[in-house]
Amino acid sequence: MDKPKILIVDDDPDLRRALTIRLRASHYDTVQASDGYSAIAVAQKEQPNLIILDLGLPAGDGFVVLERLRGNDALSSIPVIVLTARDPQSNEHKTLQAGALAFFQKPVDNSDLLDMIRTAMPNAWSAAAALPS
Amino acid sequence: MNNGHTHVLLIEDNPGDADLVRLRLVEGDSTVDVSCVNRLADGLASMAKEPPSVVLLDLNLPDSHGADTYREVLEKAPGVPVVILSGQDDEALAMKAIHQGVQDYLVKGDITSNHLERAMRYAIERQALTRSLEISRHQQLEFKNQFLSHVSHELRTPLTCIYQFVTILLDGLAGDINPEQRWHLSTVLESVHQLRAMIRDLLEATRAESGKIRIEPRFVLVDDVVRQAASMMAPTAKEKHVRLEVGLGTRIPFVYADPERVLQVLINLIDNAIKFTPGEGSVMVKACIVDADPNMAYISVADTGCGIAPEAKALIFERLYQDPNSVDNKRSGLGLGLFIAKELVELHGGRIWVASEIGSGSTFSFTLPLYSLAKLLFPVITYAGQLREAITLVRIELTPLPNSHGSNWKDICQQSLDTLRRCVFLDKDLVLPVSGNIGISTIFLVAASTDLERAEIMMKRIREQLGVGAGFKAAGILTVSARAVPLPSTNGKQLEDLVQAVADGVTEMAAEALATKPFQKARVQM
Repeated sequence: MDKPKILIVDDDPDLRRALTIRLRASHYDTVQASDGYSAIAVAQKEQPNLIILDLGLPAGDGFVVLERLRGNDALSSIPVIVLTARDPQSNEHKTLQAGALAFFQKPVDNSDLLDMIRTAMPNAWSAAAALPS
Repeated sequence: MNNGHTHVLLIEDNPGDADLVRLRLVEGDSTVDVSCVNRLADGLASMAKEPPSVVLLDLNLPDSHGADTYREVLEKAPGVPVVILSGQDDEALAMKAIHQGVQDYLVKGDITSNHLERAMRYAIERQALTRSLEISRHQQLEFKNQFLSHVSHELRTPLTCIYQFVTILLDGLAGDINPEQRWHLSTVLESVHQLRAMIRDLLEATRAESGKIRIEPRFVLVDDVVRQAASMMAPTAKEKHVRLEVGLGTRIPFVYADPERVLQVLINLIDNAIKFTPGEGSVMVKACIVDADPNMAYISVADTGCGIAPEAKALIFERLYQDPNSVDNKRSGLGLGLFIAKELVELHGGRIWVASEIGSGSTFSFTLPLYSLAKLLFPVITYAGQLREAITLVRIELTPLPNSHGSNWKDICQQSLDTLRRCVFLDKDLVLPVSGNIGISTIFLVAASTDLERAEIMMKRIREQLGVGAGFKAAGILTVSARAVPLPSTNGKQLEDLVQAVADGVTEMAAEALATKPFQKARVQM
């Protein structure tokens, strides 16, 4: 079975690089997108098992991406974890209503993020966990 | 003075005085018009219809006297300049009026035309200045808030990067590191955590200042929050070789509070306590009810640290205050933690204070309001001046399915609660304002004025209605169970005492129900 694939959407290339290293170390495959428009394109092409999504993005912010994902039959069931520098008080409820599974404010503890990823893909994880660490 | 025209509202019941003032103002000045009323109520009505440029106010009117008169005007028409025309030369009253926002206090016998006209003009001018100052202060506060919110957002992005790469190095994901490198990197990571806390406090303090902190109070067991805070802080205490102990009173009823916020206050106090306590010292977290103040829960954090100087005690809850003698000057933070704690406690209707002696430690205490379950239960569990014969506690547990992603669990729970409230007989049963979580499950409790057997009917209805509603079926598992509430013996006891005894029993059962598996009796699973 293939490794579960995670799409990282963030306009900060350094953060994309860091998350890629972190997630690959936990036996996930990763793909990336740097703006809202390419997020949808990459999601369609790669069919990831999960998406980590920033809110402040060029070419369609995180809310636009959430809306497009939900409106697309092929993508609507992919769990989305929002990871943003924005304030939870004014954004958490909105993102959850827009269909995100979880909201984390940057910087998030690695363990919290990885726990949530495992919760979001329980089946995928059991496959990945079987891999040698 | 709109368009150079001054509309004066004169509130004066003495016709002679009124005529005199009118004459003085209008004579030779076509830009002033005066309308005169002789009762305060008429004056307020006139102001509500059309705000005048200035109010000339006699204090003793048929429907109001003395200081009450101007206070009423200031309250009902803030922003309208008020000049008092008084028959009495009372300097103390005049000063009081000016301090409370009146623009001038003139004594009737001393007024000349010129004098009155000028006093009025200056009053209008001063009022306009005060108003523009207020507006600009408000704008500056708003600007500061936006600025801080923006800064904290912008700081988080690079901080995230530092955190990510430091942990990548520390976890060996970029190759092996030697012990010295590990030590240095751990110091970086610690600083990242401090910076993160500072950014959070900065935003929180700004919110507190502008009254924008939100709390979501619900019914919370103090014991749970205290234990949670203690277990979260245990590693910090252990690292510093400080003993962290928890002492809980026999039984503390529910408090009405936001559990996240109470946790935040406790963590802040415990963290401070550990910080200012030398190794081998101890920190004690306690919660209890005090006989003298039975409506509040008392929570305290006591340390065996260096103590606080008397002069610092008064200032310690102030924003940005830092104790200059603090032992840990190296990393003192922003001085916002206690300020935020105070704001949060006061938002809950509690208070916070410190008792301390230099050299022998400090005790920070705060209170939270208790909620009287007995009061809520009274109409439910009594009938014709007696306790009902049977009372049952029904427990409803909603557990999200692991693959229910995309659905909004919080919303589903809220909708389920609304449905639940409609399922029960409103006059006879009570959905307890106690909801809690066990792991990922959400628990609701209903106190029903019925026996176990008849509770089955209610449980069936709950299962049916919750099961179909709120998109629940696809998202979660519903477990409903019930247990009879033991009733106290009634010999010679007052009804109030009996209800209190039942409420205590329900509180205990609720605490148990929120901490354990479903009730075993009459368990039905969907």
